[in-house]
Amino acid sequence: MVVEIAGAPPAGSPSLTRRPIADGPRGMRRAPDLADNAVLVAREMLSPTVARLVVRPDAGVGPFVAGQYLALGVRIDDRVVQRPYSTASDPAAADSHEFLVRRVPDGALTPRLWTLPVGARVHLGPPKGTFTLVAGDRKPHLFVATGTGIAPFLGMLRTLARRPEPPRTILLHGAARVEDLVCGDDIADLAPGGLSITYVPTISRPDDPANRGWSGRTGRAEAVLASVLRSAGLAPGGGLAPARGLGPGGISAYLCGNPGMVAAAEAVLLEHGIPAADIHAERYWTAPSATGESSAAGAIVGAGPA
Amino acid sequence: MAFVIAAPCIDHLDQACVEVCPVDCISHDPGVDRKAYIDPEGCIECGACESACPQGAIMLDVRLPAAWANFTEIDRGWWIDPEWARDAVDSQAA
Repeated sequence: MVVEIAGAPPAGSPSLTRRPIADGPRGMRRAPDLADNAVLVAREMLSPTVARLVVRPDAGVGPFVAGQYLALGVRIDDRVVQRPYSTASDPAAADSHEFLVRRVPDGALTPRLWTLPVGARVHLGPPKGTFTLVAGDRKPHLFVATGTGIAPFLGMLRTLARRPEPPRTILLHGAARVEDLVCGDDIADLAPGGLSITYVPTISRPDDPANRGWSGRTGRAEAVLASVLRSAGLAPGGGLAPARGLGPGGISAYLCGNPGMVAAAEAVLLEHGIPAADIHAERYWTAPSATGESSAAGAIVGAGPA
Repeated sequence: MAFVIAAPCIDHLDQACVEVCPVDCISHDPGVDRKAYIDPEGCIECGACESACPQGAIMLDVRLPAAWANFTEIDRGWWIDPEWARDAVDSQAA
């Protein structure tokens, strides 16, 4: 397959080198330095398909910022299979990293993570990523997550809760099933502090038997988002009603999870007058399920069969 | 599939890709190499490097234009025989 790329050179390339790739001792493959440098200290099943893994690095967590991701890896057949996951930990208080991991039945890594004994050695990469809170931002913060996309927001909310005058926050959490609305207890634990959190869970498949008895909001996160913005006084076209909630100074929006949700939510926010500069996004990889539908796998965008 | 670093990286070596790669599968020898190299066995195809590269040098191997097709082998080869890869880069840049 050949794809036209702007700026690409014309077809036809020179030969590679005067000699073949070395074989013998010189041809030994360089091994990336991926040590087992951390230990799995806890695994808590939050739902049949989502687990909270707690991993403690041997050398301590070191500096990181809420919202960043780290590669979590397990040695399988002499090779470290790794995927990046957002840390849910509070940088100011953590001695370990919490990860929310959705099991992918045919994945290269997550089935192993499910059976790995607590106490097992694992690989943990350095914290990376720029999906972090804007320093000094006093605007109300709107967080929108699907599934395990709530992970970085736990760290962010824990960070905000330590501020003397934290901004008002709204957390909109969407999932297909009630059981996937994980970490509601973590949010409740933050509420008694000085942080104002409006927690808005929503279920996208209200007719699913697994959701029997659900009396909360229904609809996909991006659809409920429009309703949340309306109730806060933001209208399509950018109209603002300062007396109603979010105020005239705008909001800062953070989106994390299924790439489809992120794209749709971005469109809704822009339509409601939120500047693109105030919209921050982290996209998680989506795995096709047996039914052909996609579900957020929990790893950072594109991270292969997890 | 894996992402590959093609000709626009040569002599630029911005290294934004190294910063964002979640699995640290991009490397080069400072002062020796003219470009960075992706380990195809470590690449998880997340695409973080592609969007971070200011040169537009990184793309999936299946999307490489014909003139840059050799860079799939060059990136793979550097992890086995760096001198071979450097010769190949010089040939491509010539």
